[in-house]
Amino acid sequence: MNLGPGHPGFAEFFAGASARKRNRRPCAFAHPAPFRYITVVILLILISGLINPIWAESLPDAQKTSEPLKQLSLADLGNVVVTTTSKEPEEVWKTPAAVFVITQEDIRRSGATSIPEVLRLAPGVEVARVDSDHWSIGIRGFGAVLASKLLVLIDGRSVYTPLFAGVYWQVQDTPLEDVERIEVIRGPGGTIWGANAVDGVISIITKNAKDTHGSMVSVGGGNVDQGTGDFRYGGGNDQGFNYRVYGMGFTRGPQSHSDGVNFDDWRMGQFGFRSDWDKGPRDTLTFQGDIYREVAGETTQYALYSPPSQVTVDGNAELSGGNLMGRWKRVLNEGSDFQIQAYFDRTNHFEPEFGETRDTFDVDFLHHLTLPWRQNFLWGLGARVSPGNVVQMVPTTDFLPHHLTDQVYSGFVQDEIPLFSRQLALTVGSKFEHNNYTGFEVQPSVRLLWNRTPRQSFWGSVSHSVRTPSRLDEDIQINFFATTTPLPIYLRASGNRQFQSEELLAYETGFRTLVTSHVYLDLALFYNDYNDLYSFEEGAPFLEPTPLPVHAIIPLLTSNGIRGTTKGFEVAPDWKPSSRWELKTSYSYLEMQFENKPGSNDPSSVPGYEGSSPRHQVGIQSFVNLPKKLEFDQTYRYVSALSAQGVSSYSTADARVAWRATKEVEFSVVGENLLQPQHAEFGGEPGGLVGIKRSVYAKITWRRAAN
Amino acid sequence: MAVVMAWVLVGVPCLRAQSSKPTDYDVKAVYLFNFGRFVEWPANGTAAKNDSFAICVLGQDPFGPALDATLAGETIDGKSVVAKRISTPEESGDCRIVFMSSAEDARMNKIIAALNKEAVLTVSDIPQFSQHGGMIQFVLEGKKVRFEVNLTAVQHAGLTLSSELLKVATTVRRNSSGD
Repeated sequence: MNLGPGHPGFAEFFAGASARKRNRRPCAFAHPAPFRYITVVILLILISGLINPIWAESLPDAQKTSEPLKQLSLADLGNVVVTTTSKEPEEVWKTPAAVFVITQEDIRRSGATSIPEVLRLAPGVEVARVDSDHWSIGIRGFGAVLASKLLVLIDGRSVYTPLFAGVYWQVQDTPLEDVERIEVIRGPGGTIWGANAVDGVISIITKNAKDTHGSMVSVGGGNVDQGTGDFRYGGGNDQGFNYRVYGMGFTRGPQSHSDGVNFDDWRMGQFGFRSDWDKGPRDTLTFQGDIYREVAGETTQYALYSPPSQVTVDGNAELSGGNLMGRWKRVLNEGSDFQIQAYFDRTNHFEPEFGETRDTFDVDFLHHLTLPWRQNFLWGLGARVSPGNVVQMVPTTDFLPHHLTDQVYSGFVQDEIPLFSRQLALTVGSKFEHNNYTGFEVQPSVRLLWNRTPRQSFWGSVSHSVRTPSRLDEDIQINFFATTTPLPIYLRASGNRQFQSEELLAYETGFRTLVTSHVYLDLALFYNDYNDLYSFEEGAPFLEPTPLPVHAIIPLLTSNGIRGTTKGFEVAPDWKPSSRWELKTSYSYLEMQFENKPGSNDPSSVPGYEGSSPRHQVGIQSFVNLPKKLEFDQTYRYVSALSAQGVSSYSTADARVAWRATKEVEFSVVGENLLQPQHAEFGGEPGGLVGIKRSVYAKITWRRAAN
Repeated sequence: MAVVMAWVLVGVPCLRAQSSKPTDYDVKAVYLFNFGRFVEWPANGTAAKNDSFAICVLGQDPFGPALDATLAGETIDGKSVVAKRISTPEESGDCRIVFMSSAEDARMNKIIAALNKEAVLTVSDIPQFSQHGGMIQFVLEGKKVRFEVNLTAVQHAGLTLSSELLKVATTVRRNSSGD
């Protein structure tokens, strides 16, 4: 990954310096007209609706189902596992925020092989694959490899690095078969989760150990995902103790490079465990941990003070680490419970351009109680201490000081007050944080939920949220080579110790309805007012005599010089035309408008922000259950153009066919990015846009339940 | 395009076939039949004079053929069980059990008030049905269909639930007549 060109502002800035390489659009990345494809899909749906009156199941067929059910006792009837014809979005229904749940079924049937690919399924989330092991991810804008305005949690553990306030997506992995669900909240999650949940929260929740008894082995391979394997073994006793252990690994080949430099191959191995103990009726204890090691191919460009002034290096990033977490939940009495969680995380991240080792210690406490008038009250405290150490690998990139400990202390309160005989719920809350960069930050939020009928609800909210500074904003020293005439000139981006938190005031509203028992609709609108966004200001050039040869420096100081607004909406209709076919669709619209604040001379961050997020995104997921235990699933997506990345709009599709041969064995074949041989999604790497290849893989999964 | 053709050839003709797992309404239909067997009606009620045992669906019918298939050829107390569709509470005179579909949630309170005066067992899957005075409410726990009972409402209507039914219910409410 590149610290410089990774940031959208930098990409635009250096368009001048290496214009032809970054902004060209090679003819190889042609694409079909997206709306033609959508029209065909819609016609197919309508045609199949006409020639197959799908609702008219015949009476004899229905009797075949009811006969065996009638033989069951009442108790056994309550144990029959059913498929539901209607969506019962229980937790989503009562949340006054734009929340989307990606279920295990969505994950399994998407054929996705990594968490970033799974996140494409949520509306409002922009996922763009840069190359084999880098993704740019954002919610409602600001998609970037070094995305800083998202909070990402795995089982409550925050996986962001304070180095650049973002996520190293390559190392966030877990066997996807054991992910229970992923909750994506678009919009500020300020109150409970805290700073940096500015544009959203992604919470990955793995299955409780009591749901993963037995063994599971899965092996697969294909042209790009060349070899993948994972295993899991779980068990438990009848004292309420359950555990599982797992291992996973893969080797992935490079994506498509027009200059033939296939740098982005990638391999990793990871082990982990989870145990859940239901100790008595009141207490639950959970322990979990993971350990991983990866080698990810990278290409990096950095400057040198002496000729050749700039080098491009294809090297490997050595990544390793582990984490350990414990959590204790106790029910005090009806309507009152608390939770204490502590975790330790170690990350070793060594790239050709820089290296970092970091330890994180975190403790969180949360108490939930019911107050008079049925108020649902939550409050909590948290502390996170994270000593990090930067290792300088090249003379022109550094973070000063090398060693710094980030400390964040936080507290929050939230009260949910039912009004008008529980038709309305008003939620007010705030998070208070103290960090070592900007001191004290307050993030209040007010939300209102109106359950107009049991099938329709409206919600609205106003929140204030901040993205606190990272070491990238405050401590970085990075030089970029500009030109050699008349003497070597470098641009030097420096961190600013006075960098302020980026701020957001968000106004959101939404509407959910079960239109019929087979059609569900979720609509969310937002208007976000940003201030103090990251920019860099050009200073007066000066001559620097050492190291020789004498060279000129144009200083760029990171600053809070941009402000602006984003607005848009996401609509996600869900339709179940028959018991065998489900359609999940979404459309996301985003408009961004930014400007330099008075006094800011940053020439490129505004077009960088505005041109790195798509205005339109369309997603369609179709799940078809065929007889003889066959599943046929398709995903279609369309993303509009990113002008600052030199990427044109594209539409592509994935397809999956799976066959449950026996109760224990499942075969599946998945094709991804099928509509073109390759297409680019995001820029940023030296060497031009990387084409994401059309790929196919096959997988066998063997499961055996415990006795 | 290959993906589209594959979808047309494989997906379309197969969409008619019967599902292999029961739906929640298949199970709810069997529950309704069982409620008929495990509930005692007053001997001198209006419905007792009929020679058929009617299980009625009020409003939009979510069962499809599942309810008719379940009740076909069955008898309770020597009376043949039939499924009826009605659209207002006034038509429930012959009904022993009335199931209210979730499409009727807007009228839920009015319907409960009208029916609870008769010896009719009211059942629904509308959320908070039993809290509002409905007698039996279906709930989905994970992917399993269970039910809650509002015992006060049942007793007010002069009905008696067998202890077998009460044992299996996930919640039995007493002294709760709505919010």
